[in-house]
Amino acid sequence: MTDNRLPQRPGEVIDRDTSLAFTWNGQGYTGYQGDTIASALAAGGVEVFARSMKYKRQRGIMTADHWDPNLFVQVGDEPNVRAGSRRLIAGMEVSAQNVWPSLRFDVGAVNQLVGRFLSVGFYYKTFMRPKWFWHNVYQKVLRKFAPGGRIFWETSAHGAYDKRFAHPDVLVAGGGPAGMGAAIAAAETGASVMLVEHEPDLGGHLRWGDADDLAALAELISAVEAHPGIEVVIDSTVTGRYDHNWMAVMQRSHPIAPERLIKARANSLVVAPGLIERPYIFAGNDTPGVMLSGTVRRLINLWAVKPGSKAVVLSANSEGDAAIADLEAAGVEIVAALDVRAGEDIVEVQGRGRVSKVVLGDGRTVSADLVVIGTGWTAPTSLLNMAGDRPVYDASAARYFSNQLPDSVLATGGITGNGTTAELVAHGKATGALAANRALRNRHDRRSLSARARNPDGPRPESLADTRTPLARVPHPECYRSSTHGMVDLSEDVSSKDLVQAAKEGFDSIELMKRYTTVTMGPSQGKLETVNAAAVLAEARNMSMVDIGTTVWRPPYAPISLGALAGRIFEPIRRSALQDWHEAHGASPLLAGQWIRPDHYGDPTGEALNVRENVGIIDVTPLGKLDLRGPDVTKLLELVYVNKWQKLDIGRVRYGAMVAEDGVVSDDGVTSRLGENHYLMTCTSSGAGAVWEMLEDYLQTYRPEWDVHVTAVTGGLTSINVAGPKCREVLLRLVEGVDLSPEAFPYFHVRRGTVAGVADCIIWRIGFTGELSYELHVPSGHALHVWESLLTSGEDLGIRTFGVEAQRILRLEKGHYIVGQDTDGLTKAPTAGLGGLVKLDKPDTIGLPELKAAYARTDLPILVAIQPDDPQVVPMEADQIVDGESNRILGRITSSRMSPSLGRSVCLGQVDPSLAAAGTKVTILLIDGRRIIGTVQEHHAHIDPEGVRQNA
Amino acid sequence: MHTSTPRGYVRMPDIEFKSPISYGPISAPDGSVTVEDETATAKIVVRAAAGTAAAADLAVPFGQSRLRADGTLVCGTRPDEWTLFAAIDRATEVAASVNAEGFVSVVDITHGRAMMRVSGPKATAVLAKVCNLDLADDMTPDGAVFSGSVAEVTCDLLRSDRAGVASYLISCERSFGNYVFAALVDASTEFGAQLPAGLSIH
Repeated sequence: MTDNRLPQRPGEVIDRDTSLAFTWNGQGYTGYQGDTIASALAAGGVEVFARSMKYKRQRGIMTADHWDPNLFVQVGDEPNVRAGSRRLIAGMEVSAQNVWPSLRFDVGAVNQLVGRFLSVGFYYKTFMRPKWFWHNVYQKVLRKFAPGGRIFWETSAHGAYDKRFAHPDVLVAGGGPAGMGAAIAAAETGASVMLVEHEPDLGGHLRWGDADDLAALAELISAVEAHPGIEVVIDSTVTGRYDHNWMAVMQRSHPIAPERLIKARANSLVVAPGLIERPYIFAGNDTPGVMLSGTVRRLINLWAVKPGSKAVVLSANSEGDAAIADLEAAGVEIVAALDVRAGEDIVEVQGRGRVSKVVLGDGRTVSADLVVIGTGWTAPTSLLNMAGDRPVYDASAARYFSNQLPDSVLATGGITGNGTTAELVAHGKATGALAANRALRNRHDRRSLSARARNPDGPRPESLADTRTPLARVPHPECYRSSTHGMVDLSEDVSSKDLVQAAKEGFDSIELMKRYTTVTMGPSQGKLETVNAAAVLAEARNMSMVDIGTTVWRPPYAPISLGALAGRIFEPIRRSALQDWHEAHGASPLLAGQWIRPDHYGDPTGEALNVRENVGIIDVTPLGKLDLRGPDVTKLLELVYVNKWQKLDIGRVRYGAMVAEDGVVSDDGVTSRLGENHYLMTCTSSGAGAVWEMLEDYLQTYRPEWDVHVTAVTGGLTSINVAGPKCREVLLRLVEGVDLSPEAFPYFHVRRGTVAGVADCIIWRIGFTGELSYELHVPSGHALHVWESLLTSGEDLGIRTFGVEAQRILRLEKGHYIVGQDTDGLTKAPTAGLGGLVKLDKPDTIGLPELKAAYARTDLPILVAIQPDDPQVVPMEADQIVDGESNRILGRITSSRMSPSLGRSVCLGQVDPSLAAAGTKVTILLIDGRRIIGTVQEHHAHIDPEGVRQNA
Repeated sequence: MHTSTPRGYVRMPDIEFKSPISYGPISAPDGSVTVEDETATAKIVVRAAAGTAAAADLAVPFGQSRLRADGTLVCGTRPDEWTLFAAIDRATEVAASVNAEGFVSVVDITHGRAMMRVSGPKATAVLAKVCNLDLADDMTPDGAVFSGSVAEVTCDLLRSDRAGVASYLISCERSFGNYVFAALVDASTEFGAQLPAGLSIH
């Protein structure tokens, strides 16, 4: 195994006393603490790390950082790990991804031979026809070639993702010299600062610099660490900037989770990402051994890795020049040092699996195993774009610069210009101070205006003028492509030849070309290739870079995992005070909206029968309950219900239905009058929140002069329905202070009393099952006691619990409809059979004009009870009612069950008015295609239509 | 007062008051955060229009709180709305103490709200994992009363420090109590707390 590790370097970040063993494609390797996966492998002599997406070309280290398009690897069960920035951990099982059968020999490499036929737009052009081939052939085959690693979603031990919120005064994106300067200055002004760096260490380019750089870095880090007002978040990326400076920060490698999304809302954003070195386009520019100048400097100075033996260097700037010095210091022979500024160039690189020969611009061919490119930078303006900026190209400096930013977003560092370390830090500090000033003025306002905040300690800070001295724009040659063609987008295998071809085909705007060729759309997201792509297009169209423009950079700045976006999955669950008891007694859970409820206790049919024959109790706590108080409650009820409420006496209960402004039935329930100005309203479980909101909406906006207070008491009152012919007998044993006789406490009345020793229970005599029943509303802290007391007291009377399923059977037997089940988003009052309830002569009711219009119509469907002629057939809910043998739809079954009491199926359904008369035969189309006949019944109720049982 | 309804549930001394949260305090081993159930607290909500005697007596602005001499904690929960917290056996007494002249409602929500406390040096960091509000000391100082989403449940919150250490009282609709408690403990696991078996946010 080759050992490329150099003797100790002054700024190296590896701990040579801590060796870490790991495997690469099953073979053992050793690195040091502080190594990245890539640096450890490079130190071990690995040259090929991946195969390219389309042509399966061998790829090696290009940038050796987070953005390297060639360093995506599989680590255990985690795909797409960026080996250029992920720190090495002992025991890692690292492998190349998307190769078959191996990295060394990949059959997909045959694509290189037929590459001329895989031109740009190949997929669009080829896989369109024949159409049915897409699902049956193309898709299945292409999926095998899809890039990316393997996922193990069923067995992954990856753990949960995480999320947190943050509200720093100033968020600094970028932890280089300018970013650290900005953070220090902002914190010194009194602002809270979040400093985000996408590499695992602060410092930016200072980390691989000379002794002066390292000294400056140590000083800056010391100042950052010393300031309690700065929160440093490393190995993290600000992936998006949204309105009002809402930033998404993706934090990697946190102990609590593989990735964590920090949702940060900052008063000021300082964008200090530095610059990203860009590749140069020439034939063979993606051959392993072609690296950027910053890459070799990082390898040598951070991880003490010798990147090659014989190097050709092409330099257009001081970074490229510095690379030559570092290479020489590392013992690398400089075969040719080419200066772009002197007109020198590289034409082609040759070699398979590693650079072997280099054709120079002067026609010479030299032997080398390393080509170092230092031809310029891309300004990563993404966050600025997201703030509305449209950066402008400056030909003299050969890169883009910010154009116009909102006050809450400031830029500093290399993205704004060039400078010495001192100049960068100074600009950063001036920017940080300005950002803090704006943030603290904003904070002063918020503290002044917020009811809960501490009043500001002093006057609002004076506005600081922007007196920053801009960093210089050092001239730089425009250096994008040699005389040959090469790769532009290494993530997507898009070459300059492809771009020229796309332009010829008419995709000659940068945005169209991007979408057609997928250039800039891979994991690099344009970091390395955006400017080169624009340059190639400009050249192809003979236009200036300024006129070509750039693609718009949108979030995310860097790809992020879907799991991290989801974070912790919060699924609020509501439980009644009795739910623990239900679960302990074998209840089968039913998720109804946010509520978890007992669907049944093992025998829903038996539970239903027991209610008809003896007595049952059911937990109906999810029923929405609203406490209404005030002298104007009656007016409110008149407004929101379709029926009248003026004459509801104290102690009475009344059913009410609501319609929305479009006349569609929206909710229903009963409301009782407990006192002169005190009512308890119930509504459907699923509609409780909406009804509460609607009441408040009308009270606050439409009738603010009405004195009504609404308090939600759903969970505070545990609701227990006691139903069955023996229910009164049970309650007589437990209720104090209430005369339960039918004369003193008739149907649709309310009383307050003590139940099982619990005072202040509200007792309604109502029912949904069709049986004699009482609904108890019990203070929830004592509900379990009441529930268990009922079961104990009624034991000899055959009392049993029943669940939602039994209740559905019972209510359907009785013909009670359910809003949302037997009605839908189009059901108006006449359909639901509310004719006797609706009072069109009221002065005002929500939806009144639509109600009047609805009752003038004769074409609305009607809700009816239907009896299948074959009593053993139970149509499914939503089975259609059709016109004989045709498929013309005339209605649908809305509810259906087998009735254990009647021994036959029972249904409710909406039908065309022509079918609504009792005795009409209807055709029901079952899901299996059979058609059965049913008969429309006279009443909704299949059992006890006269109400003898409930009125007992 | 426009009702003859009793203004506070009578406590049943012989009947156990059951909280929706069936777990005792859960702490990180280093004590950096503790989540505990405080549902068994009297909670009275008072709604009183401006100009009423009740509003004048309560005298706590919206967003702030005050500990009365009788031990009742008065919170300005919303404009024209206060929540009064006291020992659970004082519900009736506290409700009766409100001057009911004018358009005033006094509703005992002792049974209707779950309440829990998150406290400790890491309490703010824990809450920041499930609540998107600015919890900085100057924006939500000790005594601040506010409402917000906690793990996607609407909650009322009170910053109620203990001996200078951050502490938050969080109340929610009773039926969400177990879930919100689980969410807070789940958030505390970053700092070493352990989720007991059976307690989950899912």
